Parts: sequence; structure tokens; C-alpha cells
Amino acid sequence: MIAKKVLLVGNFGVGKTSLIRRFVLSEFSEDYISTIGVRVSSKIVKVGNEEIKLLIWDVAGTNDDEKIPKAYFLGASAAMYVFDLSREETYVNLKNQIEVVQELSGLKNITVVGNKKDLLTSNEIDHLIKTISVPVNLITSAKENENVEDAFTILAKQSLN
Amino acid sequence: MIPSKIDSVFIEITTDFKGVIKRVNAGGFAEKEFIVNESIFFVCPFLIGTLEALPLDEFFSMEGMIITSNSIEFNVDVELFRSKKSISVLIHDRTKVYRFVEQLNQSRNDVFFAKREISEKNKELARLRKVADKANEEKTRFLAMMSHEVRNPLTAILGYTDMISEEPLGDKAKEYIGYLTSAGENLKVIVNDILDLSRIEAGKLELVSEEINIKEIVNNCFVNYKNQQKDKVVVLDLVVSSAISDIVFGDSVRVTQVLSNLLSNALKFTKKGSVSLEVELVYAGKKTTEICFKIVDTGRGMTVEQTAKIFEEYQQNELNDNRVFGGAGLGLSIVKRLVEAMNGTISVFSELNVGSTFSVEIPFKKYIEQQSKSGLSRINLEKMSLKGMRILIVDDDLLNQKITSHFLKKKDVTVVVFNNGLEALEELDNQSFDVVLLDINMPGITGEELIQRKSSFKKNNNTAFIALTGNATQKDRGNYLSLGFSDVIFKPFKSDELIEKISVFFNKF
Repeated sequence: MIAKKVLLVGNFGVGKTSLIRRFVLSEFSEDYISTIGVRVSSKIVKVGNEEIKLLIWDVAGTNDDEKIPKAYFLGASAAMYVFDLSREETYVNLKNQIEVVQELSGLKNITVVGNKKDLLTSNEIDHLIKTISVPVNLITSAKENENVEDAFTILAKQSLN
Repeated sequence: MIPSKIDSVFIEITTDFKGVIKRVNAGGFAEKEFIVNESIFFVCPFLIGTLEALPLDEFFSMEGMIITSNSIEFNVDVELFRSKKSISVLIHDRTKVYRFVEQLNQSRNDVFFAKREISEKNKELARLRKVADKANEEKTRFLAMMSHEVRNPLTAILGYTDMISEEPLGDKAKEYIGYLTSAGENLKVIVNDILDLSRIEAGKLELVSEEINIKEIVNNCFVNYKNQQKDKVVVLDLVVSSAISDIVFGDSVRVTQVLSNLLSNALKFTKKGSVSLEVELVYAGKKTTEICFKIVDTGRGMTVEQTAKIFEEYQQNELNDNRVFGGAGLGLSIVKRLVEAMNGTISVFSELNVGSTFSVEIPFKKYIEQQSKSGLSRINLEKMSLKGMRILIVDDDLLNQKITSHFLKKKDVTVVVFNNGLEALEELDNQSFDVVLLDINMPGITGEELIQRKSSFKKNNNTAFIALTGNATQKDRGNYLSLGFSDVIFKPFKSDELIEKISVFFNKF
């Protein structure tokens, strides 16, 4: 079995920890506790016939003017950029922020996930997606456990590329 | 020898390229977790992938990583160095520092989310306020429209009642006409009160600041009620302090409204004894003066409980008060709001079966040059003749036409009547008039449209045009004056009001 280091990055409070908790532990909590530094969780996923041990780095959320330390990306095989569908400031500069992550990580493809879909109507989400300047891979809800598994599967597939 | 305090906060390990611990070089931090010949990845899963990718002969650091020892989580900073033979891993326990960072971050983020929540609530409040404002505007518009619609028939009711009362009538008929007049007047008060209240509630009450003669206002109010009290046993007194300035800046309409309302109330509830209006100086500064208006009656008075509620809306002291005395119970509530809008105060002292005293204190800006405003003496309207005056009435309401004509003809005025603006337009080019009384809402050409064509008339360019309208707000009045009307008379009007306003222009001829 191969191990792959993958990172979840994005503004603080977008639900990175909640996505990981939902994926790894099948848990969700409404309480918001900000992440300090990096917490690494792991889960074995199957992509095709291959089993991968995903080492998921939950990187502390940032402000717009903060950059993720480059060291975190060393040896990373894939990264997921998470934004909050209900908070404009988390996706208003999405294109630029993804370019920064690409530059820091050296990764060509970044999985883009819009979280907290439970807070918006489907019409609102459709409209929002049209206004976002980069393709969004998946719309998720850690709270309602919607598309979380799929988001990490996409991430795992990308880690193999 | 490393001191134990330092020794316990770091550990230095050497591993091979696969992460197998080869040696613990120094330090005692979490030493039980790092076992020689075992993988460092058990304790430091974050090194998986990282270790293999380390650049050669370069120091590499990672901050804020988490490791677990004895089931306790520690925040550590890690320094890595890959040589040709092995990898050196230096781990610093920075848990205390990161706890502070964590608290700061948590607080920062909590503040952010709290601010966001407040901002969202403010947005929602602003939205709800807009909705409420719109509803309020609609209500005001509706009330203004209804007021207009009610005023026209009310003009007819009051006018014809007045006309009938001048005819020879039997006792029964006189009695019934008395009731009809009373009911009509009561309806007029209610319409005005409702409109006033909605305007105040919508924050659209606009006070005028103009030169006003307090003594004249007080005297006019007094004379008005004195005339009405001729047949009654209640004595009406007026006491005005000589220290009161004649001219101040204020809103004569609203001051009159306040005094009229209080006097009317006092007379309503006083069956015997007296009602007095006392005007005293409270304060006289260089620029301002404060005047107290006291309305003292020996009427039925009120209990403490009744007094406490007297300024509330729709309050009348007994369930059937409004049936006996009329009104919607809005008068005193409006008075209080008007007084407050003038930066004044109102208070009441009352004793059951002894009487009540309402005290209104209002500050006014002083008029520096103490001059009489108009110098006009009160006109004796009853004896006045307007003989020789030619007045054009333009009104689409037949009943209103007849009433207005009747009032004017009694004063020997030559009256010409037209049903609409279009007919009048033609005649204004042919005949000269001293005054034109113009209804506003008419089919074809409205009064507003007609006045705006005044300068193009072949005749009557200098004639006084007076708006005769049921649109009875001060805003409407201001609008009509700005369009070129010389004055505005609100429906329903009394004969005296009509004649007094017209007589101003008669004096000019």
C-alpha cells in the first residue's frame, strides 16, 4: 500500500477540519474550534484496484494576507482548496489564491471544493458557481455528509497523477 | 551537561532515509515514543512523504506540527537536515506558545464570526425597516387619499348644515340640525387627528419656524371658544402675562392646535365653574424664551390612574366618552407629540370632581426686533361686505360649488362658477377676476396644471388664485404655494375662514 500526503487549505472557518472529521471519523460538530499548525489524519481509500493511505494534512486556515508555509507542501501529492459557499470573502479571490497554492506546492491541479452547501438553496449555488472564475470540482456539506467521500476520492485520484 | 528544563523541551534524533530511528542524540522530550530501530512515522506521521522529499544539505523547518505522547497532544516545531548518510530530526516542544496562538486565533475568528453575524442581522434589520417604511408610506398615502375623499363630502355636509340653520326652522328641526353640525364637526376632528397621527408616526411632521405673535394666537383661540360658550354657564378667562414677548419664532398652526385641543377638552368636561387659559413667562434669555400655557378647569377631573393614561392613544376616560363627547381619543396623544416636537413638555395635575390643570411649556426662539408681524387688526367678518368683488369658482363638485357660492354671495360677491379647468381656462382669457378659487383634483385640467399656465392668460395674470382642496397636509400647502397659489384653503372650511382669506385680497383693491 502506498501512502500519499495530501493537504487541505483555505480560509479559516470554511470547514476543512469538519470535512476531514466527517471523512475520517464520520463525525460532525457545530462547534467551531480553529486549527493551530497542522493536524495529520489518515484514512485508507481505494482508487480502482489500488489502496492508498491518505495522509491528510489539516492546515490551519488563513486570512487573505497570510500565506501557508511552503514547507508544508514538501512531498505533497495533492491539495484541496476549500471555500465557504456562504462567505464571499472565501472565494472572491479564488483564482489568485489557487495560483498561490500551485506555486507553493508545485502541484498542477488543485481540487477545488465549495463547502457548506446546506446553507444555500440550489438556485443560489447555481448562480454562485457561474460567478466563480475557476472550475469547482465539487460542492459539499460536511454537516449533511454530502459529496464528502467523493471530494476525497477526487483528491486521492489526483495524488496518483 | 544540558539543564533538565531545557532537556525536557527538545529531542534530537537521527534516522535513515526510510524514517527508521537510528539514534537519539540529545534531549528528553517525549523520549519514550522514539525507539531506536522503529519508524519515526509512528510518532510523526507528518514526516511521511516529507522526509523522502527533503533536499540534500539544506536545513528545513516545519512549524506547529502535532505529535502525541502519553495520550497528550503536543505542538512542536521540527527542524530537518538531510546529509548524504542520514537525516537529522530536531523536535522542539512549543505547546505553551501554540496554546497562546490558539487562544488568539480562536478569539480572532470568534470576533470575525460575531461581526459577520451582527452585520447579517443589521442587513436583515435594514431590510425589515425598508419594508416597514414602505408600509408606513403606503398607510400615510392611503390616509391622505381617504382624508381627501372624506373632506369633499364633509364640506357639503357642514356647508349645507350651516345654510339650513340660517333658514326659519321649527324647534325639532333646529335640534336635529344642532346634532348634525356636532357630528360633522366631530368627523372633521377625527379626520384631522388620524392624518396628524399618521404623519407624526411616519416622522413626517414638519414644523414651521416663522415669526408668530403669541398674544394674538392666544387671543384668537380664546375669542373663538368664548364665542362658542355664549349660552353656557362656564366662565372662560384669559390671563396673559405682560412679560411675554409679542413676536417669537414658532409654528402658529401647531401652537393653535395644541391650545385649541386643550381648551376644547376643558370646556367639554366642565359643566359649571370656569376654564381659564393662563400664559406665563418661564424663562427669558437673550435668544430664547420659554412660555407656559396653563389650561385650568373646574371640570370633573380624573383619578390618578386616569391621569397616568391620559396622553395614550385612543384614551377616553370612560367607555362611552367618545359617544358622549365625540372624537377618537387621539387629541391629547397628538398634543403631547406636537409639544415634544416643539421641544416642549406637557404635564397634567388633576383631582376627581375638582378639576384639571394642563401645563404646556414651549421654548421659542426670540425675535430680536420686537415688531408686530402683520399689523392687521382682527377683521369683523360678520359685518364685512365684499361688494364689488368678482370671484371665479372652479370646482367639479356641484355641492361644494353651491356652498362656496352661497358663502360668497352672502358677502355681496359676484360669483362665476365653472365645473372644470378646461372651461375656466377659456374664461380666464376673457374676464377679469379679483380672486380665483381653484379646486385641485378635477377631470381634464387639474388645479395644479391650470395655475402653471397663469402667466400665459390674456387676463388675470395678477389675480390671486387660492387653492380649495381636500389635500390637507402642510406638504401639500407648501407645494401649492410654490406652484403660484396665493393661499390655500383646506376642505372642509367654514364661511369665516373663506371670507377672512379672501378679504386679504379685497383690501388690496
